[in-house]
Amino acid sequence: MKPITLIIAAALAAAPAYAGNSLIPAGRTVQVAKSAMAVTPGSEWNKLGRRPGTNGEIWTLDGDKLNRVTFYGGIAQDTTLFREVDRKNSPLPRFSQTMLLTDVPKLLENSYRVALGSALFTIDQMEPARFGGVDGIRFTYSFVAGNQEVQSKGEARAAIVKGRLYMISYEAPALHFFEKNVAQFRQIADSATF
Amino acid sequence: MRKTRLLAAAMACGISLSLLSAPALAQEKTGVKAGFVMPAGGTRIVLMRPSVRVGAQSTGGLFEPNADWTAQARENLDAAIRKAQGQLGHQVTPYEDGTGAADSLSNQYRGLFTSLADSVREFQFFPGNRLPTKKRKDSFEWTIGPEAKNLPGLENADYVLFITTEDHYGSAGRKALQIFAALGGVGITSGVHLGYAGLVDVRTGELVWLNADQQMGGDVRTTEGAEKRVSQLLEGFPGSTIRSASAQ
Repeated sequence: MKPITLIIAAALAAAPAYAGNSLIPAGRTVQVAKSAMAVTPGSEWNKLGRRPGTNGEIWTLDGDKLNRVTFYGGIAQDTTLFREVDRKNSPLPRFSQTMLLTDVPKLLENSYRVALGSALFTIDQMEPARFGGVDGIRFTYSFVAGNQEVQSKGEARAAIVKGRLYMISYEAPALHFFEKNVAQFRQIADSATF
Repeated sequence: MRKTRLLAAAMACGISLSLLSAPALAQEKTGVKAGFVMPAGGTRIVLMRPSVRVGAQSTGGLFEPNADWTAQARENLDAAIRKAQGQLGHQVTPYEDGTGAADSLSNQYRGLFTSLADSVREFQFFPGNRLPTKKRKDSFEWTIGPEAKNLPGLENADYVLFITTEDHYGSAGRKALQIFAALGGVGITSGVHLGYAGLVDVRTGELVWLNADQQMGGDVRTTEGAEKRVSQLLEGFPGSTIRSASAQ
């Protein structure tokens, strides 16, 4: 990479995205992640101004390290779940239309191992579950992000519709925060439509 | 010609970024829960073992841990905290880390405190980045949860004091990039010197006081630097007599 390009890239990477957190009101149906997916939350949430990728959106109550709902809105063939961190040296795995629903937890795991430097990631449970009115999968997982000491838990629902992957995940520290808000996440996931 | 255009783009980019981010970057560094007053005399505070990470920052900005620096910094910070402890104005007892599950749990709480403080810094101390549901309340409401009182060793404590430091010392390459970028009008930081000190009410798990800054002073790899860092971390501690780092 040329030095001048490196400067621009580094400056953009270093520039914090501090604008645009918005309120998601309770009881209103909203489209998420610039996609056909819509949900109706039963309680208020905050939508972060920064996005994990083109087809992603993050909601939180106390900050995304304490409780985080991530919407993946129609991940297309040969694209990643979220933005590449270091495409040249550590490329993220890509979604393929040939994947089965049971491959989706592994796709998330492998993406996290690269993006978060997460050596500790375990899929705890997976089972068939309806999601957005179609056959999907529900799975739970545990992980420790590479630069953190805290053990986090996650739960996700996913479905593949017309060759695109739709998924909603919830993640929070195992201590206090996961249990505090998991019911609110499940309500959101239950309300999803495509 | 092409290089000139790229340089112009870099300069425009830098100027735009600095203008756009200026108001949002007005950062607060201390927060206190509304109505919190430290009870006078006899307050029992348990000091958790500080979470310390020290390393280098690569040219690309990645953190590269350094075990020797971390060990040296831990030793220096522990000594500086012992020295400052008497000025906190309360009965302060170091937390005695257990073994096995108890040790793992105390590590988890240290990590949880760091995540909590990260959130306060990002979503409370930068007023332009507040979360709408918290902004409306216009208050300082953060917690690690009431379950914290079950941590072995906190049975007789009123408050628990957490400290986190993380230092990324800019490598030669990073510093060179910073200078080169500045010539192009682009602002790039070299080094991260993050410090958090937070007081948690053991009975409720609520964070009642926090100092947090991503660019703290003091080189923690030296005795004097660690003392400066600790005085900055504990500046304004409720009921203390510690002089501010800036006054030293």
